[in-house]
Amino acid sequence: MIFKRLRGFRFKDFPIGYKLIVTYILLTAFPMILLVYFSYIQYARSVEEQIGEYMPRFLYQANADVEKHIDELTKLPENLFNSESILGILRRQSYDRRADLNKDQYNMNSYLARTYTNGRNADVLGVYVVSNNRVFDSSNVGFKETGWGNTIMEFVRGFEPSGKAEIVLPDEIDLKLETASPYLFILKQINDDDNRRNLGTMLIAVDLTFIDNIVRNFEKNERADLWVMNASGKIIYHTNRRFIGTVDAEKDRYPVLNGSFRTDVTGEQRLVSVNQSTGRGWTLVHGIPLRELTEKADTVRNVTLFVIIAILLLTSVIGIMISYNMTRPLKKLTGLMKSVERGDFQVDLKVQSGDEVGTLARSFNSMISTIRELIQKNYQIEIRQKEAELYALQSQINPHFMYNTLETIGMAVEEGESDQVVDMVTLLGRMLRFSVSNQSKSVSIAEEVQHVKDYLTIQKFRFEDRVHFEIAQALEDTDFQGLYSPKFILQPIVENSIKHGLESRKALDIHISVGLEFGARSGKRDVVIRIWDNGPGIAAERLNELEKSLKKISFEGRSSHFGLINVNARIVMMHGPDYGLQLHSIVGKGTEVIIRIPMIHEEMTANAED
Amino acid sequence: MYRTIAAFLMIALLMTSCGSGSETRYELVYSMEPVGSASQPPEEPNVPAKRYKIALVPKGIEIDYFKYAAIGAKEAGKSLGIDVLFRGPATADADLQIDIVEQLIDQKVDLIAISANDPVKLVPVLQKARIRGIKVITWDADTEPEGREFFVNMVDPEVLGRHLLDTLALTMGEKGNYAIMTGSFSAANLNEWLRWINIQQREYYPDMKLVATVATDDDQDKAYDVANRLLVDYPDLGGILGNSSVGPPAAARAVKQAGKSGAVKVVGLSSPNLMNGYLREGSAQIATLWSPKKLGFLTIMLAYRYLNGQMPVDGQEIEGVGNIRLNGDMVIMGEPLDFTAENVSQYDF
Repeated sequence: MIFKRLRGFRFKDFPIGYKLIVTYILLTAFPMILLVYFSYIQYARSVEEQIGEYMPRFLYQANADVEKHIDELTKLPENLFNSESILGILRRQSYDRRADLNKDQYNMNSYLARTYTNGRNADVLGVYVVSNNRVFDSSNVGFKETGWGNTIMEFVRGFEPSGKAEIVLPDEIDLKLETASPYLFILKQINDDDNRRNLGTMLIAVDLTFIDNIVRNFEKNERADLWVMNASGKIIYHTNRRFIGTVDAEKDRYPVLNGSFRTDVTGEQRLVSVNQSTGRGWTLVHGIPLRELTEKADTVRNVTLFVIIAILLLTSVIGIMISYNMTRPLKKLTGLMKSVERGDFQVDLKVQSGDEVGTLARSFNSMISTIRELIQKNYQIEIRQKEAELYALQSQINPHFMYNTLETIGMAVEEGESDQVVDMVTLLGRMLRFSVSNQSKSVSIAEEVQHVKDYLTIQKFRFEDRVHFEIAQALEDTDFQGLYSPKFILQPIVENSIKHGLESRKALDIHISVGLEFGARSGKRDVVIRIWDNGPGIAAERLNELEKSLKKISFEGRSSHFGLINVNARIVMMHGPDYGLQLHSIVGKGTEVIIRIPMIHEEMTANAED
Repeated sequence: MYRTIAAFLMIALLMTSCGSGSETRYELVYSMEPVGSASQPPEEPNVPAKRYKIALVPKGIEIDYFKYAAIGAKEAGKSLGIDVLFRGPATADADLQIDIVEQLIDQKVDLIAISANDPVKLVPVLQKARIRGIKVITWDADTEPEGREFFVNMVDPEVLGRHLLDTLALTMGEKGNYAIMTGSFSAANLNEWLRWINIQQREYYPDMKLVATVATDDDQDKAYDVANRLLVDYPDLGGILGNSSVGPPAAARAVKQAGKSGAVKVVGLSSPNLMNGYLREGSAQIATLWSPKKLGFLTIMLAYRYLNGQMPVDGQEIEGVGNIRLNGDMVIMGEPLDFTAENVSQYDF
C-alpha cells in the first residue's frame, strides 16, 4: 500500500520540510537502531554460545556423578553375600515350623537394617528382598498401601530377570512411599554364583534428592529445568516433581544428545543442553529460557530503544521546527511574489534572521521597493510632464495670450508691418508645433532655448519696450545642439517673470544665460541656465516657503508658483536631488532662477504608451 | 509524510524485536559429539562377527564334578550367545584326552579349555592346536606353561592345601595319625596341594603324623578299596584327608562300613551332593570345595573375553562370579567353601 503510493511521486519533488525530517531520522535514529540491533544480537548469541558450550561439560560431570552414585547403589545388593548365614536363609526353600520362618525373617530383617538402612546409606529409603515367596524388608519410609508385600511379590514375578541391576520407577510398581522426595527402585536379582541359581530379588528404594545436590552445585537459577531421563525418554528425575514418570516424547527429535541446542517447543525460546551417559544411557537435560540468559542484554536493549524513541521524537520535533522556521519565510516569499505578480507592490517581507533566507528576504524587499519607487517615479514624471505640456499648451492657447497675440498681429496688419506679422505668425506656429508635436520628454537645449526665445519674442512684439530680453549662450554649438534638457523648463519660469514683473515694473529686463558650471553637489560639470529678471523680487518669507515647497517634490495643486514647482519636481525626479531649481531674490531688485541639469547627451525617449 | 516515518519506525522495531525468529524448532548451538557419529552410537567392540565355538575339556565327563562344571559352562555359553562343546574321556586319562583334543582340532573350534590329566603329556597336542590357530587355556588342572595361554584355577593352591590340613587338624584335635587319598600322582594340581598340605602340617601340627599317601585314580571303586585297606593297615588311624572329589566319599563309606564313624575323621575335597549324607550322619566331618558350576561359568567367560582379545586382569569383576585374582598367568576364582552337616543342604553340586 505504502509503496504503491510512494511510487506515484519522487522524493526530490517532496517539500523541503519532509526531506529534512526524513534526513534527520535517517541520520539519527536509523544508525542507532542498527547499532543496538546488531550489538544485541551479537551479545545474545555470544552468551548463548558460552552457556551452550560449558553447560554440556557440567552436565557431563554431573551425569557422571549421578551415574557413579547409582552404580554404587547398584552394588549394595552384593553385601548380602558377605554373610554366610544370610545366604543360608536365602537358599532355604521350605520350613517345617513357623518359628523357623519367623527366626529367619527376624535375622534377615535385622541384617538388612544393619547393612542398608540404619544410616549407613543416606540415600536408601528402604530395601525389600523377595525370595521363595518370602518378603524381607527394612525401610525408613513406609508404603502407603497395606498389602505392599504381595504387590512387590507380584511385580517381581512379572519381571524378566537379567543379570544387571534395573531401574524401576515408582509408577511401575503400584505402590507409593510415604515420602515427597523423588525416588526410584533399584532392582537386582540375587544370584547364587556357587549353585548357579536365582535366590531372589532385591529392591532398593533410593532417594533421588542427591541429584539435587549434584546439580544445584552449578545451577542455582530457579527458572532452569533439570531432568534425568532414561534411554527411552522416561523422566526419572525432574526439578519440577510432577514431570517425574512422564515420557519426553521430544527426545528422539533432539538434534544432539551431547551438546546444546535452541528450541521453542514449549512456546518460548529455550537453550537446552544435554548429556547422555555412556554407561546407563541416561540423559541429563538442562533447559533454561533464553530470556533468562539475555536478561541484561534485554534490559539494555529496551532502555536503548526507549532512548532512541525519545531521541526520535525529539529530533522529529526539532526537525519539524527547523523545517517550519526555514520554510515559513520561503512560503511567505512565495505568497508575496504571487501578489507582486498580480501587481501589488505594497508588500514587505519581515524576516529578521541573518541567514541566507534573511538575505534573500532583504534583497526581495529592496528589489520590491526599488521597483515600487521606479514605478512611482516614472508615473510622477509622466504626470508632471503631461501637466507641463498641458500648462504650456494652456498658456499658449490661453484666450488671453492668443487674444493679445492675435491683437498684436492684427495691429501690425493694420500698420502694414507685414514683416512683423509674418514673424509673429511664424513664431506662434513654431511654438504651437513645439508644444504639440514633440512627444518626447526632453529636447535639445537649443530647441528649448529657441522655444523660450520664440515666446519672449512674441511677448516683446506685444509689450514692445516694456520687455527686454537677452539670451547669452555660452555653450559650444555641439553642446548646445547635442545636450538635452527636460521639455518646458524655461517657459514656466519666464512666464512667471513676465507675469510678476510686468505687474509692477514699467520695463522688464529678462536675462537668460546658458552655460556649463561645475556643480559642488554633483561634483560634475552641469548645464546651468540662469534666468534673471529685474522684477519686484520675492519677499524672504515667501522665498522660504517657496524653497520648502520645492524640496517637497510633492504633487500639489495648481498654486501660484505651479510652474516653478513643476519644473523643479520633474528635474529632481529625473536626475535626483543634486539637480533642480535655485532661487535668489532681493525684493525690489529682481529675481534669479538657476536651473541646474546634468549633461545629457541622449534624448530621453518618451514612454511607449505616450 | 508522518505515515512513512511511522512505517520506518515499525520496520526498525520489528527488526530489533523479532530478529531471532526462526523456522526450525531445534537449532544446534554446540555439539560435544565427534563429527560423523552424531546419530549412531559407537559400535560395541565385543559384538562378535561370528558365533564362537569353545570346547570345554574335563578330566572325565563321567565325573560329577565336571558334569556340574559343564552346567555352569553351558549357562555362560547361553548368556554370551556362543556354542560350548563339552568333550572329554569318560574317566581321567591323559592319552584319551589327547585323542579328544585331536578331534577338536579337526572340528576347528575357536578355543580349547582343558583340565589336563597330565601337565607334560598334553603339551605337544595343545601346541599343535595353537599352531592351527586354536586358542588354548587350561582350567581346573594346569599343564606346563608353554601348552596354554593362561590357567583358570579355582583357588590358590597354597590356601587350599593349608586349609585342607587345617580342617583335618580341627576335627582330629591336632594330633594323631592320618592318611591322604590323592587322585593321581601325575595330576599337577593335586601334587601342588599335597605339597602345601605337608608344609602346613610341618609348620603347625607337630603332633600329627602322616602315615600314608595313596592314589585313587579318581575311580570310586578303587577309592573305596584304598580306604578300606587304609583302615585295615593302620588300626590307630585318626583321620583321612582326600584331595580329589572321589576320595572323601569313598573314605566316609569305608569308615561307616567299618563302624568307625566319628572315630576316624574324614575331610577333604569333595562336592556337597556326594558328601551330604555322610556329613549329616557323622561319617565325614568337613568337605571343602568350590562351585564347579561357577568354575565352568568363569572358564567360558574368560575364554570368550580372550577370544575378543581381552586377557584377564587382577581384581577384575566377572558378572555372575565376582572379583577374580591373577597370579602370573594363573587366574584364581576365589576362596574354597566348607560344607558341614549344617550347611551342606544349601548347595546343589
